Amino acid sequence: MSSATIVAQRVRRTSLARKHPAVLMGSLGVLAVVLSFYSLSVGATDVSMSDVFKAVIGDTSDQAAQIVVQFQLPRVLLAWLVGTALAVSGAVMQGVIRNPLAAPDIIGVTKGAGFAGMLLLLAIPGLPVVAVVPAAFVGGLAAAGLVYLLAYRRGATPVRIALVGIAVSAAFEAGIRFLLVRNPLDVSAALIWLTGSLFGRSMSSVLEILPWVAVLVPLIVVWARKLDVLGLGDDLAAGLGEPVERTRRTLLFFAVALAAAAVAVSGTIGFVGLIAPHMARRVFGGRHLASVPASALFGVLLLLTADMLGRGLAPPLEIPAGLVTAVVGGPYFLYLLVKTGK
Amino acid sequence: MAVSASSVGTVPKPSVDATHKRPKIVTNKQRVTWVALVLLVLLVAGAVWGLSIGSQHIPLTQLPGAIVKADTPGELILQSIRLPRVVLALCVGAALAVAGALMQAVAANPLAAPEIMGVNAGAVFVVVLAITVVPSLSGAPTILLAFGGAAAAGVSVMLLAGSGRGRVSPVRLALAGVTASSLLISLTQVLIIFDENSTDSVLFWLVGGVNFASWHDVRNLLPWLVLGLLGAFAMARPLNLLALGEDMARGLGQNVERTRIIGSALVIVLCGAAVSVAGPVAFIGLIVPHIMRRLVGSSYTVLLPLSALGGGALVLYADILSRYIKPPFEVPAGVVTALLGAPIFVYLARRQKVTTS
Repeated sequence: MSSATIVAQRVRRTSLARKHPAVLMGSLGVLAVVLSFYSLSVGATDVSMSDVFKAVIGDTSDQAAQIVVQFQLPRVLLAWLVGTALAVSGAVMQGVIRNPLAAPDIIGVTKGAGFAGMLLLLAIPGLPVVAVVPAAFVGGLAAAGLVYLLAYRRGATPVRIALVGIAVSAAFEAGIRFLLVRNPLDVSAALIWLTGSLFGRSMSSVLEILPWVAVLVPLIVVWARKLDVLGLGDDLAAGLGEPVERTRRTLLFFAVALAAAAVAVSGTIGFVGLIAPHMARRVFGGRHLASVPASALFGVLLLLTADMLGRGLAPPLEIPAGLVTAVVGGPYFLYLLVKTGK
Repeated sequence: MAVSASSVGTVPKPSVDATHKRPKIVTNKQRVTWVALVLLVLLVAGAVWGLSIGSQHIPLTQLPGAIVKADTPGELILQSIRLPRVVLALCVGAALAVAGALMQAVAANPLAAPEIMGVNAGAVFVVVLAITVVPSLSGAPTILLAFGGAAAAGVSVMLLAGSGRGRVSPVRLALAGVTASSLLISLTQVLIIFDENSTDSVLFWLVGGVNFASWHDVRNLLPWLVLGLLGAFAMARPLNLLALGEDMARGLGQNVERTRIIGSALVIVLCGAAVSVAGPVAFIGLIVPHIMRRLVGSSYTVLLPLSALGGGALVLYADILSRYIKPPFEVPAGVVTALLGAPIFVYLARRQKVTTS
């Protein structure tokens, strides 16, 4: 697998990242927090920064603060959680499959999860949304398995996995559209399932995804060394005493679970899982101990910006965050594709 | 039904010399005739079926009356609602299927198809953009704009995919095309959100279908369809040569670049026209030529006309099926073609032999 080297070694780090990775990571975190506060104040009704601070501290006496807590805060928290989940999921997939083009949306996980989640919601109306996560997980896992199975032919090359993934995604998307036509939802709900959005989500959505992110992401960071070892190639990893197949399967399982949880609360947001890990590797290098948390930060930044742009471009109208990420991510994927070919 | 008439005439004659001169291209005259007959029967049956379903029962004996005068309410419904729908389904299917076959020949790539290479998405994006900016726009100018969008998208995908090294690998082309498509579709969705919030228009421009068909649409499409189809049929022999490989074709004295450019222009005319009246009906250009190739071999002299028939039949039946999805409502046919086409796309993607990366 020649692509192994692309992921693990052939990455240049910026000099600041080489000398003080913690400083850079910290400043990214600060940037994300600042952006979150700014994002809290952007919306259909503008809220002043002082009100935002008051609301965050817990003073919800006036109306502006209530808007922040009720409508804006869940969105921003969700952007953090969903961005982290998608980006870490993408980072793990790229590391484990040793494929720079792997990402939950490329290998069919998001569309599969979206289809399964939507199917369940429509089949049993009034179902608590908590139940969607397991359904989305099963759908995502099935889609990923299907893609791997179909792409496997004396090995599965990165580009073929990507192509088969896109084909399988197209099949699931056709399914989503079929369900939408059979059971017309309102436009915003339909767009959530087709493109992904953080619109109209409440604190309960935050609580649904929180446990998944809180458990799985630290676990993956702890396992970052295993990811590095896997990146060396199967033979070397086995020589270093790593149960390769088992580790790979467990890590992929985690990655699919994270992506499925994200899809269950926010629909099929594309390209975050693909781009964020690439950005992280560019800046922090291929060591997963640094690049996994950095991917999470980049994912958060991407999703916050996308959501903010979607809200802020034409205030009463909401452009789903998934559309914004697709518009940014599409060209980046093309760039990667051109670069991988050389 | 100008499609079926013109294509039947061209089927048997050229296939004789095709077998004769180029033994590699398999065309069995009898088999071609059978496939053509079956397709025609399917088309006629589908047309009758399509004309007879709807919320009101209308006996088909009223059909001649509907075509000539349309006096009774039944005849009026037939003439102004059901007939254009059937005719438009046939025209759109023929246009997209022939465009797909042409594209596969020109790009020498089995995965090339207007919906995969971003051509349809480009046309849709430009049309939706035009409608958003100038709401009263319709008809001929829209089609010309659609040509521009289709051409721009197709050419950029080709350039992007080819910017690596020498020969463009089929898979790379497909990946670049699909990504460009999804980008354009996202932009289209953004435009639709700005424009108006109705599920109907969202679905129409994202899925495509003939459920809003009128004679106006048919009139707009028809000249371009005739031009595109005749041009494509005239291109059959150069395309057969091109299928032998670029070097071989050049050695046999063919102007390969000219064939490619004319072929691409025809693709853009056919797709742009079809998409601007019916939206991006999914996967027709990918699956119909592949099915036909399985049935009658790969000589373009028979493949192109039969693809036209097959595409017409597929969209017609998809439209009929889509009316049974949720009875009182009109569902775009593209939902059905996407469901049918996606597994075939999976099959083709899996079958690709990849030598690169």
